[in-house]
Amino acid sequence: MSIRVLKAGLQTTLQGAPFSGHRHIGMPAAGAADSLSLALANYLVGKPCGEIAIEITLAEAIFEIDQPSSIAVVGAALYVRINGEDQPHHQTLHLKAGDKLHIGPSRPGCRTYLAISGEIHADRLLGGRSTYLAAGLGGFHGRALKDQDVIALSDISSTKKVERTTPPTLRLRYSDDHVLRVTAGPETDEPHNGILADMCLRPYAIGARANRMGMALEGVPLHTSEASNMPSAAVFPGTIQLPPSGEPYLLGADAQTTGGYPRIAQVIRADRHLIGQLGSGSRVQFVHTTAERATEIYREKISLLSPWLGQINLW
Amino acid sequence: MADYDPEMHICDDWISITMPDRETILAAQVAFTACNHWTEIVPGLNSIAVQFDPVEMSPDEAATIVRDQLGGAALASEPSPIMTTIPVCYHKELAPDLDYAASKLGIKADALPSWHQSHTQTVAMLGFMPGFAYLESPEPCPTIGRLAKPRQLVKAGSIGIIGQQSCVYSFDSPGGWPIIGRTPLRLFDPEKAEPALLSAGQAVRFESISREEFESWPRADEE
Repeated sequence: MSIRVLKAGLQTTLQGAPFSGHRHIGMPAAGAADSLSLALANYLVGKPCGEIAIEITLAEAIFEIDQPSSIAVVGAALYVRINGEDQPHHQTLHLKAGDKLHIGPSRPGCRTYLAISGEIHADRLLGGRSTYLAAGLGGFHGRALKDQDVIALSDISSTKKVERTTPPTLRLRYSDDHVLRVTAGPETDEPHNGILADMCLRPYAIGARANRMGMALEGVPLHTSEASNMPSAAVFPGTIQLPPSGEPYLLGADAQTTGGYPRIAQVIRADRHLIGQLGSGSRVQFVHTTAERATEIYREKISLLSPWLGQINLW
Repeated sequence: MADYDPEMHICDDWISITMPDRETILAAQVAFTACNHWTEIVPGLNSIAVQFDPVEMSPDEAATIVRDQLGGAALASEPSPIMTTIPVCYHKELAPDLDYAASKLGIKADALPSWHQSHTQTVAMLGFMPGFAYLESPEPCPTIGRLAKPRQLVKAGSIGIIGQQSCVYSFDSPGGWPIIGRTPLRLFDPEKAEPALLSAGQAVRFESISREEFESWPRADEE
């Protein structure tokens, strides 16, 4: 049993839960850039939130499955079509053998998740199966899918059958305008006093070369009076660095594990899944919060989601 | 260490702790690894960071645990890891910046390999890519600096040097460090129980090999 990629689009990869516990050997998180959309999609086909699904970026992608199966699509795609007929997002859908599944371009937003009832075969390493593109590890031979790739699926008869629709209150509104809450970073105050307040006053646009590793935040450059280099130190998805140009750089799911630029802010965990929906041209406003408040927000979000999704972890 | 009051910065799910020296970083890494509170423990050059699940603990609770773990018991350093020897081919086709680095060091290009092999280095940390190692030399030396224009492609195994600090590239990747040689060793092998060849704190020495030895070196993935 398998799924054939008829049109791979711009960057389509196998992604699920991130790699965990290996940053000290330089292994990044990788995994779904939008962990919440992944979890919602997986739940609609009866899977745990971190299972492997297909992450589709910006452009249209087309698939064909050779066996009857259940699927679900959650994300920024403009449309979902089976053999040319429009289908709803956020609902368990059924494919017959040979049906063609069209997943539209992202309008607005950036990424869409296709969950499938059968287990998607993906390379396993370090306890994970997500794709880490820069080193060619995990997923489908460590790379983005290409036209005519065939991905193996396990027999779906082992998966429990479900018919689900995401409650309207839990559906994300995909947008090109985001508010992201941030805490201060280790170098926010010393030697960069006032820089976070400046950053939160200004709107930013996501630069043209945005990808899973990170994205430039274009706007009025922040003033940096100090030499903008420091001994390499840990960074994480959602860390905002300040290179000498004064143009902040927001790290994504594939962020390297360490960096040498001042860490002036950190997008809070509760909002980090939204980074996966930021594409070139998206607009962002940052809002400062405290670490304690960020923890409360995260716990509130988890308790809002867990009655529907069960055990849920966002990254 | 009993009264050790570390300088910390707390984000919502990770804490960065400033460290006085390499020995303390390594000892802290051992202490943090010995418990299961942390989802990530990431040494830096003069800091270490721990990440936690904010459902399990609040930032304040995490900070208290960090203080306890750093100060409660004397930090024990790991016994020094065994010296690792890294074979390096300094052939110019594999070392495009050999002349540049030598001129910055004020030595002749053909003297650079023996200079490079003459002192033991220490792995400061891993980062950038899986298995990518930052090395520090105890010997002061002139600053070489990064290339004005980073390369789009540096081959896996390349040895970069900017002065007292050098690095070993673990994967083909972009990079801006002057390259003075290449090792045939695989720095990261996900099939192994310990995928990274090197680890923070490890002592490393380099040993020159010929182009022929480089080409015929047994690759782990072909054995």
